[in-house]
Amino acid sequence: MSTRNPSYTNPKSCKHLADYKLRHRLNGFNSLQEHLKTTPAGKSSVSQSQTKIPRCGFCDGYRERLYLCLICSSVSCSSHTLLHSQSENGHDIAVDVERSELYCVLCCDQVYDPDFDRTVMLKHIMDLPPNRSGVADEEGAVRRSSKRRRLVSGLEFDSKKSKQMVSMRDRRAKSCYPWGLRGLNNLGSTCFMNSVLQALLHAPPFRNYFLSDQHNHEVCRKRSSDRLCLPCDIDVIFSAVFSGDRLPYSPAQFLYSWWQHSTNLASYEQQDAHEFFISVLDGIHEKEGKARSPSIDNGDCQCIAHRVFSGLLRSDVTCMCCGFTSTTYDPCIDISVNLDTPNCSPTGLANKSVKPNENTGISTLVGCLDLFTKPEKLGSDQKFFCENCQERQDSVKQMSIKRLPSVLCLHIKRFEHSPARKMSRKIDRYLQFPFGLDMNPYLSSSVVRNRFGNRIFAFEGDDLDTSAEYEIFAVVTHSGMLDSGHYVTYLRLTNQWYKCDDAWITEVDEGVVRASQCYMLFYVQKTLYYKANEDLSCQPISSRRDPFVPIAGCC
Amino acid sequence: MSLPNDDNMSPHAQLSSHFFGDLLDSVIADVASECHRIARLGLDRNLDEEEEELRLSAQARAMVADSSNSGETTSKYVVDIFGQTHPPVATEIFDCMNCGRSIVAGRFAPHLEKCMGKGRKARLKVTRSSTAAQNRYSRGSPSSTYSYSNSTSMNRLSNGAPGVAGEEYSNGSFEEL
Ligand SMILES: [Zn+2]
Ligand SMILES: [Zn+2]
Ligand SMILES: [Zn+2]
Ligand SMILES: [Zn+2]
Ligand SMILES: [Zn+2]
Ligand SMILES: [Zn+2]
Ligand SMILES: [Zn+2]
Repeated sequence: MSTRNPSYTNPKSCKHLADYKLRHRLNGFNSLQEHLKTTPAGKSSVSQSQTKIPRCGFCDGYRERLYLCLICSSVSCSSHTLLHSQSENGHDIAVDVERSELYCVLCCDQVYDPDFDRTVMLKHIMDLPPNRSGVADEEGAVRRSSKRRRLVSGLEFDSKKSKQMVSMRDRRAKSCYPWGLRGLNNLGSTCFMNSVLQALLHAPPFRNYFLSDQHNHEVCRKRSSDRLCLPCDIDVIFSAVFSGDRLPYSPAQFLYSWWQHSTNLASYEQQDAHEFFISVLDGIHEKEGKARSPSIDNGDCQCIAHRVFSGLLRSDVTCMCCGFTSTTYDPCIDISVNLDTPNCSPTGLANKSVKPNENTGISTLVGCLDLFTKPEKLGSDQKFFCENCQERQDSVKQMSIKRLPSVLCLHIKRFEHSPARKMSRKIDRYLQFPFGLDMNPYLSSSVVRNRFGNRIFAFEGDDLDTSAEYEIFAVVTHSGMLDSGHYVTYLRLTNQWYKCDDAWITEVDEGVVRASQCYMLFYVQKTLYYKANEDLSCQPISSRRDPFVPIAGCC
Repeated sequence: MSLPNDDNMSPHAQLSSHFFGDLLDSVIADVASECHRIARLGLDRNLDEEEEELRLSAQARAMVADSSNSGETTSKYVVDIFGQTHPPVATEIFDCMNCGRSIVAGRFAPHLEKCMGKGRKARLKVTRSSTAAQNRYSRGSPSSTYSYSNSTSMNRLSNGAPGVAGEEYSNGSFEEL
């Protein structure tokens, strides 16, 4: 298993670079620093003189790649660098003038050094408008990440506690299937609700919270005169579903109170699973968030909906004239992505242009996420007022994820809306999604680092305490047309997939899931996923050892 | 980079072709340098894993396409994992929380809609407009949950291209059962 961290370990430098640093320390880097120039777009180069074009000291050429000797500052072209190091003993390390990258003449290779990158970045930050470089403005990030750490351990605690609670609740169960599998009756076109409930019921940290009785409906009803409590209704469903009873359950009470809660919603027939999901979390937040922390905004809300699902998005708008960056943060409960168009996949950033789907021509979730975090030039109609230039300028906007949630819900916008014709249409295109999802490339730290040429530098918020590796556990699919269709959820429990089609729970091959028409994808942090599997599989579920007896032979 | 026919070109054309060649060289060197850095620092994506996932998905699609041709997947369920079978309309009976009448589970939602006065006529087309959809999320309260849509799509919308406005799925699964 490869776990790639967004921040790298320092690369091993070649012997020559190591020798150079031993002898000259940072002198060469430091004296180079004042000659470094950066463009607002983030590219660095070396410019020794305003007027003179650098030329090779041997052949006077200026069109080839030029290198500046770090010891004597003489310039040689790529063909003559070796000659220089041969004539001047020990002059082995040079700088690529146009790219400000280190080059070892003897290894004939570009080499990397943290001190050098630091030199470049510091100069870059100095050159950018004060305090708003979009690089290092983060006191909050530190505070937040420590809060986050507490939060994560809190969830782990839940999980332990829930294990006991779960086994108590399950005494009646004689199931040979993972726990909490129970069909939900369709109450009349309510598959939008059932599909989302199934995903919520099996979202590990969310499930742990309710199974460990942290919102017990009996306790809550005694305490509060307010009879409308959505978390209570969810708790009731949890009890029912984890009771071991196998007859499909009718979430009628839940529908009733959700409906009361969502007074401004249209008829249930028009209901969209994603909107339902949002409104349920909203309902939980309204009840729990206010009780716990009335004054805090969504980003730090400690209600169970936000603790599990809430992430933080970062949006950078950079002035194309001076490089000033305006950064804003927005909490989010899920991420809605546009279907990427195959065949015109985004290019540009070197590490993002190598996309495997380029020739196969299918849409991929990774492609959608690339699109989501791609820098986008803002149109002339929405010019950004640059505080530094004090005027409206062309700008580039880029989204990234500042903080990932424990459970990541991705919503695929399968709609095409034509305002002209006042028509909506469903895009029935297949979207490939991975079971294991690496969100590292979309983290703010990765995105910002990439914007600044991937220098080895402590970019703000290199959140090391949260993992960006996710595993899928639920897929909500939609089949049929825009106004008549059917929602079905696939659940992954102890690495087996189950199809939850209202009352019907069946076992399916993972291929069926991979080929399905996904509408909402639920991923959980890898560590929580494995923990959840342990929780489920070590339950005293039945007298049988094998939890996966084939259907016919089961009980 | 030297382009062919240097000699046949006017000095001006020669100059611009040289300039273009230099520029191209420089861009190539930029990309090469950038990729080299990414690879050396281990920042490149795990393409092997991504490719494996793609391969599995392609395989799965081919398999599903095959089996649906032979008419397998469209068949109705016989039993669920517990060996149970279920009627197309859920027959469980309970009392409506609103009016107390006994209702069959499978007809509960349409009943409730009428019972709570959310009749079909109450369905306002206005709620499907983009502003309504947004108000629904934000509800004007700063503490409220909301779903994030990349504003990119908003931009596209204002450019007259497909966007997010008022999109929703609806379901009429009942007919399908
Ligand atoms: Zn030369
Ligand atoms: Zn030298
Ligand atoms: Zn070397
Ligand atoms: Zn309650
Ligand atoms: Zn909350
Ligand atoms: Zn500016
Ligand atoms: Zn009623």
